[in-house]
Amino acid sequence: MSALDILIILLRIAFGAFVPLSFVAVLVWMERRGAAFFQDRAGPNRCNVYGIRAAGLIQNIADAIKLIFKEDVVPGHITYKFYFILAPMLVFITALLCFAVIPFADALVIGDREYIMQAVPMDIGILWFLAIVGFGVYGIILAGWSSHNKYGVLGGLRAAAQVISYEIPMGLALVSLLAVYGTVDLSAMAQYQGQLLFGFIPAWGFVLQPLGVIIFIVAAFAETNRTPFDLAEGESEIVAGYHVEYSSMKFALFFMGEYVAMFVSSALIVTLYFGSYQIPWLSTETLVAYARPVVIIIMIGLPVIGWLFGEWIKKNNRTHYYRPDDPRSRETTIYISLLWSLVAILELILLCYVIFAAGGVADRILVVLLQIGSFLLKTFLMCFVYVWVRWTLPRFRYDQLQKIGWEKMLPLALLNIFITGAIIVSFN
Amino acid sequence: MGIKVRVVERKGRTFLEQLYLVEVAKGMAVTLGHFFRNILDNSRLYVRHYPEVKPEITPRWRGRHRLTRHDDGTVKCVACFMCQTNCPSHCIMIEAGERHDEKSEKMPVRFDIDLLECIYCGYCVEACPMDAIRMDTGIFSVTSDSRESMVIGLEQLLETPGGFAESDYKKGGG
Repeated sequence: MSALDILIILLRIAFGAFVPLSFVAVLVWMERRGAAFFQDRAGPNRCNVYGIRAAGLIQNIADAIKLIFKEDVVPGHITYKFYFILAPMLVFITALLCFAVIPFADALVIGDREYIMQAVPMDIGILWFLAIVGFGVYGIILAGWSSHNKYGVLGGLRAAAQVISYEIPMGLALVSLLAVYGTVDLSAMAQYQGQLLFGFIPAWGFVLQPLGVIIFIVAAFAETNRTPFDLAEGESEIVAGYHVEYSSMKFALFFMGEYVAMFVSSALIVTLYFGSYQIPWLSTETLVAYARPVVIIIMIGLPVIGWLFGEWIKKNNRTHYYRPDDPRSRETTIYISLLWSLVAILELILLCYVIFAAGGVADRILVVLLQIGSFLLKTFLMCFVYVWVRWTLPRFRYDQLQKIGWEKMLPLALLNIFITGAIIVSFN
Repeated sequence: MGIKVRVVERKGRTFLEQLYLVEVAKGMAVTLGHFFRNILDNSRLYVRHYPEVKPEITPRWRGRHRLTRHDDGTVKCVACFMCQTNCPSHCIMIEAGERHDEKSEKMPVRFDIDLLECIYCGYCVEACPMDAIRMDTGIFSVTSDSRESMVIGLEQLLETPGGFAESDYKKGGG
C-alpha cells in the first residue's frame, strides 16, 4: 500500500464522515430560514459575531452553545439508563453510517490504479443502506421505550409501525430499479446513469422509473420521519414523541441524527434516480477529454455568477427602516469583498491549471472535483425539497398514513415491478 | 319563512384529488412562489422589525395604568374604592387618607397596582367616577426582572404621562 493509497483512503473517510456533519449546520439553517421565507417571515437573522451574521448561519453556533451548556438531565424514573443513553447514539450513528456506501464521484484513475470514490468501497451498496436504515428506527423505539413515558412509547410505536409499512413499498420500488440497472452496487448504478437514452436524454433513474421515483421519494420521507409523516413526534398529539424526556446534547444527537438521515436519504435519492454525481450530457470520459474547454467555460461563468450573487447581496442585505450609520451596509461591503476574493482565488487556481497542469492526472482530479460539486449541489436541492414539503403539507392522520402505505403505495409498487419486468423482458 | 338551506359542496372526492399528488404539486407551487418572492426581495416580508420599529397603538388600547390630575395639579382620585371593588383580579390596593385641598374629603395615600395580577380588562377605568384612572399610556410591554418592581405605587402612577392627546382619547375611548 503506497502513501497515495493511504491518503486517498483518508480523504474518502473524511468526506464520508464530515460532509454529512457539516451539512447538519447547513440544513438547520436552511430549515429555519427556508421556513421563514415560505411563510413570509424573516427567520433568525439577529445573531452576529462583530456584526457579521452570515445570513443567519451564526444562529447555529448560538444553538450549539446553548445545547452544550444545558443541564444533561436523566430523569429519576428511568430504569435502564444504559438504553436511555444508547438510543440517541444509535439514531445518530446509523444515520451517519448509511452515507458510507454512497459514491460521490466517478472512480479516480491515477496511473494504472482505480480508486472508487466511496467512504467504504463495498459493492453491496443498496443492501447496506436498507440494513442500516432499518436499524435507525431501533434507536427511536428504544428511546421511546426507555424513557418510561407514555408519549415516548406512543411515539416509538408509531415510528415502528410507520417504518415497517413504508419499507415494503420502498423495497419494492428498489426491486424494479435493480431490475433496470442489473446491480446492487451504487457506483455501478451511478456509472449506468452517465449513458444517454436514445442519444439525447440522460439515462437517469427518474426517466427510466417515473412511478418508482415517486414511490421511493414518498417512502424515503416516511423513513426519515419527516413531514408529512412525522407522526412519531407529532407535537400537537404526543408532545414530542420519543424524545420528550431528552435534553441537552442527547436531544441534539436526535436532532442531528434526523438531519443527517435527511441528508443521506437525499443523497440516496439523487444517487438512485437523479444521476448521482453525473453532470447531464457530460459523462466522465467526455469531461476528461474536454477538460480544458470546460475549465475555460467555468472561468468565464464564475465572475458572472459572482456578480449576480453580489447584486443580490447588495439588494437584500440592508436595513428596511431608518437607522443612522447602517451597520448592515458595512457588513455588505465585507461580504462583497470576500465574494470577489473567492472568485479571484478560484480563477487563479483554474488559470494555473490551464497553463501548467492540464492533461493526465490533473484532469482526472478536476473531473472528480466537478463531480463532487455536482453531487453536493443535487443533494442540496433534494434537501431543499424536504424542507419545501415540510412547510407545505400538513401531517397525515395515523390511519391515513397506514392507508396510503398499504392500500395505495404497495399495489402501485407491485404494478411498477410488473410493468418494468414486462418492458425488460420484451426488449431483451 | 322557510329555513335557509345552503348545500356545501364536498371537496376532495374527484379522482385527481384522490390521487393527492396533483394537489400536493399545486400547494408546493404556491409555497415556492412565496419563497422566491421573499428571497429575491426581502423587503416584501410581512414582518415588523419589532424592537426597532414599534407597532402603532390606538388610544383605545388598554396599556399600563396611570392616575390623572386636575388642571391645577391636584390628584383627581378621591379614594372611593370603586376600582378596587370592581377589579376582578384584586390587583388594586388603595389606602385612603384625609384631604386638605378643598377638592374633596378623601384622597389616596397609597395606591398600588400589582401588574403581575392585573389582567388589563379596563374595569377600573370604566368604574371610576372621577376619570382619575386611565389606561392610555400606550405602554404595552410591561417587563421587569423582579416581582417587587412589578407593583407600582402612587408616585409612579401619577408620574406616567398619557400617550395620546386629550381629544384623541375622548374620541376613541369615550
